[in-house]
Amino acid sequence: MGRFIAIRVLQLPLILAVIYLLTFVLVWVAPGDPFTRTDKKIDPVVIESMKKKMHAESWRSFLAHYPVQMIKGDFGASLTYDDVSVTDIIRAGLPVSVSLGLLAMVIAVYAGVCIGTLAAVSRGGLFDWFSLSVALIGISLPSFVIGSALFALFCGTLHWFPIGSWGSFSAMVLPGLALSLTPMAYIARLTRVSMIDMLSSDFIRTARAKGLSRATVIWKHGLKNAVLPVISFLGPASAATLTGSFIVEKVFNIPGLGQHFVNSVLNRDQTLILGTVMVYSIFLLTFNLIVDVAYAFVDPRIDVTAKQ
Amino acid sequence: MTVASPILAPHAVAAAPAPDTLARRLRASGRIVVGGGVLLIMLIACLATLPFTLDRSGTGALKGALYFDRQTPALQRRVPAFRVNGQVTPALWFGADTLGRSLLGRSLLGGSISLLIGFAAAAISVFLGVSVGLVAGYRGGWLDSLLMRSVDILYGLPYILLVVLFKMALEPMFGRAGLSPPVANLVVLFLAIGLVSWLTMARVIRGQVLSLRAQPFVEACKAAGLGEWRIFTRHLLPNLIGPITVYATLIIPIAILEESFLSFLGIGIQPPMPTWGSLASDGLIPALNRIHQYPHMLIVPCALLSVTLLSLNFMGDGLRDVFDPKREAAKV
Amino acid sequence: MLRLAVIPIALILLLAGAMVWSGGGTQQRADFSYIDRGEVSTLDPNRMSWTQDIRVGYALWEGLYTLDPVTLDAIPGCAFPIDISADKTVYTFHIRPEARWSNGKPVVASNFIFAWRRMLEEPGDYTYLLHYIKGAKEFEDAFAADEPGKPADFSKVEAIEVNPQTLRVTLLHPVAFFPDICAFPPCFPLNRESMQEYLDVPTVKKSGAIHENYKKTFTRAGALVTNGAYMLKDWQFRRRMRFEANPYYWDRANVKSKVIDKISSDDLSWSYEMFASGGVDWITDLSGDTASELFARHDPDLHVFPAFGTYFYSFNCNEKLNDGKPNPFFDVRVRQAFTLAVNKQTIVDITRLGELPSDNYIPLGAFTGYPAPHGLSMDVARAQRLLAAAGYPGGKGFPQTSLLFNNEANHAQIAQSVRNQWLENLGIDVRLEGMEIKVYRDKLHTKDYAVGRASWFGDYNDPSTFTDKYKKDSGNNDSNWLNDKYQSLCEKADVEPDAMKRLAIFAQAEKVLLDEAPILPLFTYVNAYVFRDRQVKGLPLNIRSMEMYKSIQVVR
Repeated sequence: MGRFIAIRVLQLPLILAVIYLLTFVLVWVAPGDPFTRTDKKIDPVVIESMKKKMHAESWRSFLAHYPVQMIKGDFGASLTYDDVSVTDIIRAGLPVSVSLGLLAMVIAVYAGVCIGTLAAVSRGGLFDWFSLSVALIGISLPSFVIGSALFALFCGTLHWFPIGSWGSFSAMVLPGLALSLTPMAYIARLTRVSMIDMLSSDFIRTARAKGLSRATVIWKHGLKNAVLPVISFLGPASAATLTGSFIVEKVFNIPGLGQHFVNSVLNRDQTLILGTVMVYSIFLLTFNLIVDVAYAFVDPRIDVTAKQ
Repeated sequence: MTVASPILAPHAVAAAPAPDTLARRLRASGRIVVGGGVLLIMLIACLATLPFTLDRSGTGALKGALYFDRQTPALQRRVPAFRVNGQVTPALWFGADTLGRSLLGRSLLGGSISLLIGFAAAAISVFLGVSVGLVAGYRGGWLDSLLMRSVDILYGLPYILLVVLFKMALEPMFGRAGLSPPVANLVVLFLAIGLVSWLTMARVIRGQVLSLRAQPFVEACKAAGLGEWRIFTRHLLPNLIGPITVYATLIIPIAILEESFLSFLGIGIQPPMPTWGSLASDGLIPALNRIHQYPHMLIVPCALLSVTLLSLNFMGDGLRDVFDPKREAAKV
Repeated sequence: MLRLAVIPIALILLLAGAMVWSGGGTQQRADFSYIDRGEVSTLDPNRMSWTQDIRVGYALWEGLYTLDPVTLDAIPGCAFPIDISADKTVYTFHIRPEARWSNGKPVVASNFIFAWRRMLEEPGDYTYLLHYIKGAKEFEDAFAADEPGKPADFSKVEAIEVNPQTLRVTLLHPVAFFPDICAFPPCFPLNRESMQEYLDVPTVKKSGAIHENYKKTFTRAGALVTNGAYMLKDWQFRRRMRFEANPYYWDRANVKSKVIDKISSDDLSWSYEMFASGGVDWITDLSGDTASELFARHDPDLHVFPAFGTYFYSFNCNEKLNDGKPNPFFDVRVRQAFTLAVNKQTIVDITRLGELPSDNYIPLGAFTGYPAPHGLSMDVARAQRLLAAAGYPGGKGFPQTSLLFNNEANHAQIAQSVRNQWLENLGIDVRLEGMEIKVYRDKLHTKDYAVGRASWFGDYNDPSTFTDKYKKDSGNNDSNWLNDKYQSLCEKADVEPDAMKRLAIFAQAEKVLLDEAPILPLFTYVNAYVFRDRQVKGLPLNIRSMEMYKSIQVVR
């Protein structure tokens, strides 16, 4: 086990380096210049000197300069926000996104697993259809519609939640809820499927035959085994949720990291793109590693170290 | 990142049951009948009306009223724009948008385009995912490691970055190749979406192939001296139809939603061409501004979108149940 | 059972920890709070160019001249009196002895010279404004050229410290709007002493010149020393900026609001809800749709007034398009026909915010006394005649053409309406090509288009802020329309000392531009401010949409 973790941890920098290089190539082949503007005067001399300052005059100088800096934890200057560095931007945004994402994931896991289990138990019944329809509507509507509608309804019209800047817990509840909907729907669905599997398995029948109550069997024995696929979903889902969502952060004006994922691409802010991609990849790889390890703990039968 | 792909557990899908029971189960599954029925109705409605929605001049009673880009200044920003000269015509069943265009016409054409994007993107991702998964799972060894690490790395790149960059890199290329901009735009859209959504499929198929490969019948085929291609097509693929169908059904809704998100960002379908997603994103502010004057501009495309995606998801779930024989007796 | 309790408790603790880590907590409401478009890009005045930055620039700094809060005319700022020579080329600024930086040190002539030199060595978007000073352009060029053995000599730049309190500036020729330049944030002073702590590795040029580099962190709250009515108290990136009255400001008695908050918002719907809930006093922007609905209802909080910018379509005037095909818009008759075939009223009926349909390039009413020429108003018959004369009767044989725009705001809707008008009036069906903004900008700059959406906003109180765009040496002539008559008129206006004659010359130049139709003006933008009249006092609605915050007072 220790050896497995060690190997995976040692692989991380290598995979990160490849991701960095790939992103770098994509960023430089994409058309569009981060420095151009149309509605104001542009002086080519100014742009040249700015590029030089940012080491962005050619991909060679960019590649020669930034990776070295990045290892030292300095992602360089942002091309959109003049006064702050990419590191500052990440430092300001990441804690916000992580807090909100944590709340969302807690809601999603608890609610999702409960809904999924109940749906599995009443398979084909009313609750099954109802809960699944609700969950599916959650993933059948564009996220920008759901986010905006929640905001317009609960903040704008009903005034149930305050409209305020980041800071208070009450201002965090609605965005947290909005953010949790998609993972919740997937978790509910996964739980339902694997719970149905579980309920028809021999050991559940044995447990029932032993005289254990239905509730005990379902919630204790069944669930423990049924959450396995949920755990494997949690890896990428947590990485995506904790690094922030573009829509939710835009609609609720949350100063997190999520907006930068899209805006940096649209602005061709090359340093910021690389910075956010690195953060996202680190989260993703770490969570996937945690999931693999967690798998081994929840289900000792799985030998993660085995070569398939 | 906003759109999490559904990472579904590989072991949730097992090999296909025998064909005779399959047909029976398909009919028996309420989800498939309902989902498939609704989807079929949508498809027919959208495709059958294409002659009207794409015809500017138009003949007969409609006279081009359903043409997706026919702007009637009299209806521009009239609230509620359901009547013209006091009469409700078929073109105004869903009302008019802020430019005075028939929302029905736009929704019908939008549906065709959305579904086209969904199916095309799913087809691309099925093709890529199945090829990579098959090769990786069957060949194993260094090829498997290489392909799967590549998949891991692509997973690490934020989805939106890939879509946007693919789109920007490919669009000028198709433009130069002589495609007209709307067509190039459409092709690039489903290519970009398809090219980034095959990863899950590849993983699932690889897992399936790994478990199939270990089964005696594949050994037997090899021992009998059958060619690789033959083993692939005649013995492995039929056993993979189940998971492929299930995942394809689930990729379609995701692709349609992806397009809507791109439209929201202003890099999706080109106006005046509509998709359900772009209609919803166009209707967002008119419907949700403080005065709430044009709710129909948001409700109509969202209703169509969610009904269709719901039915696709139901079909996917139903298919999964059907292809998994173990579940038959699952009742406590 | 215990295990069931442990997990939620651990999670709650985790959440609470995350909240603290992310900097939660609320603060006292400011005297005046507002939301401007997006986050500030820079607080380094030398590099400012976005509106939201420049507004903050006016709050934090004060130039030799400043702007009158109501009329936005240039009035003496931290220099008084100002002696101007008879030929209007030599300005002698006597800096007010009571003018102070926010650290209590006096404002001196060298603060300006330092800032200007820094800007010439490290050019920004507005460095060209300093080129009117004798020797400035030569210094900038020599510094950039960097020839060994020929270091740029700043002593040749005629901005001279006569004594610590006196600055003498000599111009190349009379510049009618030089006071406006002095009152523009990129030309504001910097306090070199306070910046020493943030000195970075200097650049040593090949010519031997040494350029002082400063770390960007010198603009952080606590580090930034300013000489305006306010000082930067706190800057939480993408959340809030807080300004407090500068206790050493010479005119501190007239600073009405002591604490000002700039709330950061990326979403216009959110901004409006924030205003409606009473969270902020003023929002500078609205989504077009909300604005037009409020406008239609005569909402008393909505304040719509003309803006300093024009929305137009730009024609590519090159002989050939970038793909080598002949460009129909090379023919002036085709450009005129396309221009004459558009009814601008239908366009503003889409935007519906009281935008003024316009045939002019320079916004009407932007400059007092400007004799605006008549542009090409809609005349379909004439348009069809011109098109036929150009060889495309009824639009027959016209090559396939694309209309370029960026997919934002209502550009797509406007493009669809214009396209329909051209189709109806000229029989020409152009293709719409909406694209992502960066690609669109690239295409416009490289002239890789036939017709494209464009807009232009003026910066300072002089028509040249508009006319410069179509001069030959301009980096922004996206039409590539080169006209000798226009050029010579612009050059003539540049050196004309008499203000009224100058305006007349600019009007002639604009007439040439409008007749030649490298652009199709559609409408003059409007600004849409939202604030409560009864509460917010001293917020003038000026076409240049600049505000002097010190005069704003909120009565609650």
